[in-house]
Amino acid sequence: MTWRLRPRGLRARIVVGFAAGTLLVSAVLVATTFLLARNYLLDQRESSATRQAFTDANLLRSRLSTAGVEIGDVLADLFPAGGSAVVVRNGEAWYSSSLDVGARDVPGALQELVAGGAAGTVRIESATGPRLVVGVAVPAAGIEFFEVAPLTELQLSLRTLAAVLGAGALAATAAGAAFGTWASRRAVHPLEQVAGAATSIAGGELTTRLPSTDDPDLVAIVGSFNSMVDALAARIDRDARFVGDVSHELRSPLTTLTTSVEVMGARREELSPRGREALTLIEAELRRFRRTLDDLLELARLDADATAEPLPPVSLGQVVREVLAHTGRPADLLTTDGDAPTTVRADKSTLERAVVNLLDNADRHAGGARRVMVQQRDGAVVLHVDDAGPGVAPADRERVFERFARGARTARGSLPGAGLGLAIVAETAARHGGAAWCSASPDGGARFSLALPGVRP
Amino acid sequence: MGRVAPRLLIVEDDDHIRTALRWALEDEGYQVAEAVDGEDACRQVAASVPDLMVVDLMLGAMDGFAVVREVRRDHDLPIIVVSARADTHDIVAALEAGADDYVTKPFQVKEITARLRALRRRAGSSGGGSETGGDAGSALPEVVLDSHPAAPLVLRAERGTVHRGEEQIHLTLTEFRLLCELAASPGRVLSRAELLRRVWEHGFFGDERIVDVHVRRLRTKVELDAGDPRLVVTVRGLGYRLDPQ
Repeated sequence: MTWRLRPRGLRARIVVGFAAGTLLVSAVLVATTFLLARNYLLDQRESSATRQAFTDANLLRSRLSTAGVEIGDVLADLFPAGGSAVVVRNGEAWYSSSLDVGARDVPGALQELVAGGAAGTVRIESATGPRLVVGVAVPAAGIEFFEVAPLTELQLSLRTLAAVLGAGALAATAAGAAFGTWASRRAVHPLEQVAGAATSIAGGELTTRLPSTDDPDLVAIVGSFNSMVDALAARIDRDARFVGDVSHELRSPLTTLTTSVEVMGARREELSPRGREALTLIEAELRRFRRTLDDLLELARLDADATAEPLPPVSLGQVVREVLAHTGRPADLLTTDGDAPTTVRADKSTLERAVVNLLDNADRHAGGARRVMVQQRDGAVVLHVDDAGPGVAPADRERVFERFARGARTARGSLPGAGLGLAIVAETAARHGGAAWCSASPDGGARFSLALPGVRP
Repeated sequence: MGRVAPRLLIVEDDDHIRTALRWALEDEGYQVAEAVDGEDACRQVAASVPDLMVVDLMLGAMDGFAVVREVRRDHDLPIIVVSARADTHDIVAALEAGADDYVTKPFQVKEITARLRALRRRAGSSGGGSETGGDAGSALPEVVLDSHPAAPLVLRAERGTVHRGEEQIHLTLTEFRLLCELAASPGRVLSRAELLRRVWEHGFFGDERIVDVHVRRLRTKVELDAGDPRLVVTVRGLGYRLDPQ
C-alpha cells in the first residue's frame, strides 16, 4: 500500500488531524480502561474462585473424614453439575464431579505445585471457553483438590465491555472529525476571504480591502494584507502617473522646439540646401514626437479619469460619420443597421480619437479601411473596422492592444507610430465599460472592433 | 498687411517659449509685447490695451485665471489661454473667467494664429462691419429678440450693440458673435459643432465645452432669468436655438 504523502488540502488535513488525534486518545483510553477492567474483574473472579475452592476443599475434607465414604459419591453429592466442576486426585486415582472435566484439564504445572503442598490458580483455554483452575492440597485427607470454574460469563462481560468501549472510541473519532470539519471551516474562512480579495484585486479592483476585525489572531494578517494592497495600489498609481508626469514635463521644451522650428521654416530660403534638408528632417521628427506625446498624454488622461461624472449620450454612428467626413474619407465606407440607435455614454472627443485611431491603424498597416460597421448587438453598440491587409496572427491579437506594441509596416516610406493608438482604443473601451478586440475580417484582412454598452437615446 | 499691425500681448513665464512665440507671431505680422507674469501683464494692459492677448494659465503668484478675470473686467479684447493640459477643469474655468478660446501645450503656432485670425475677423466685423459685408450681421440691421414691453432686447449687429430697454448690454466680442449667429436663424437648432465652426472657426474635433461656457455666459447677460433661459434654449443632444420672445 502506498501512502499519499501530500494530503489534499488544509481543510482535509485539519479534519484528518482532528480525527486521528481523537482516535489515538480514545484508543489509548479504551485500551487502558479495558485492560484495567479486565484485570480487576479477573482478579475478583480469581479470589472469589480461590475462596470458594478453599471452602469446598474444607467441606470435602470434613466429609471424607467420615470413614467409608467414597470420594466419587461425595463429589457427585456435594457439587452438582452446572457450576464449577471439582477434580480430586487421590494418589494415582482421579475423581471428577463432572463428565466433561477430568485430570486432563488440570495443567501439569499446577499439579506439581499442589503436589508440593501449595495452592495455586491457573487460567486455561478449553474447548468450551476459558476456565480458572484452582488447586489446593488437602494433606489431612491425603488428596489434592482442584476446582475448575468456567470464565465464559466473565469473557462475555469483557466482550460487551470491549464492544461498548470500541463503539465509544469510534463515536469519539467521528465527533473529532466533525469538530475538525467545523474548526477547519472556521480556520479556513479568513483564508477564503483573503483569497477572494486577492482575486478581485488581481482583476483590477484596487479598492478592495479586507474588512477590519477584532480577532487578535487575524488582526495581523488583515492589517498586513491591506497595507500590502495599499502599497501595491500606490505603486501602480505612481507608475501610471510617472508616464503622465514625464509627458507633461516634455510639453514646454517641445512647444519651444516646435515654435522655433516654425520660425526657421519661415526662413527656409535663408538656409543652405543641406540646412533645408536637415530642417525637413527635424520637422518630420517633431511631428512624430508631438504625436507620441499627444498619445501618451491621452493615455495618462484616460488613466487618471477613473472618477468621471456621468457621461453624456453620444451616437456612435454619428461620431463615425463625422470622423469620416472630417478626415476626408468616403462616407459610404460606413454601413449601419438602418435606423437602429447607436447611442452610448461617452466622452465625445475620446470616442472620436478612438475611431480615428482605428482608421489610422488600418491606413498604416493594411492600406486603409475597407468597411466600417456600427451595429447594435445584445444591448451593446459595436464598431467594426475591416481592412484587406495581411490580417493579424491569432497569437498577436491581444498584444497589438498593448502599449508600444508595433505591427509590421506596410507602406515603406511611412514612419512607424509609437504603438499607442490601439492602446488608446483599448483604454477607451475599458474606461467606458466596453471592450476592444481584433479578429479576422470576412475579406481576409483584420477586423478591429470596439464595443460599448448601449443606452436608450 | 497694409493695415496697422495688431498689438498682441504674450503672458508667459517660460522665457524660451515666450521668445520663440514672439518670433513666430512677429513673423505672422503681429506687433508683440511680452509679460513675464500676471502683475506685469495687468500693468501693461492698464498702460495700453492690446488688441489681443495670449495668456499662459500656469504663471507665478497671479495665475492666468486671475489675469483673464482682471482684464475682462474692463476690456472685451479677444483672449486666448494656453493650458497645460486638456483634461482638467482648467479650461472650463478659464473660459468662465472670460477667455475666448484656448490651445494646449504642445501647440503649433499655426493653431494660435488660426484662432487669433478668427477672433480678429470677428472683432472687425462687429466693430465696423466694413469688410465682411456678407456676414449675418449686416443683413439684420436691427433685430428685436425679446419684445418685453418694459425692456425689449434689441440687437444692432452693424453697430455691434445689444440693448435691454435703454441700457446697453456689455458683451464680449465672442458673445456678441455667438448671439449674432443664433439670431441669424431664429427658431432653428444650431449644433455645437456648427457654432464652433462659425464663431470660433474650429475645424476638426473642436472642444464643444467652449460653446457651452459661452452660451452660459451669454445667458447671464441677455436672459431675464438666466436660471430659466427662454431666449437661448438648449435642445438636448442637438445644440442651441434662439427663440425670439
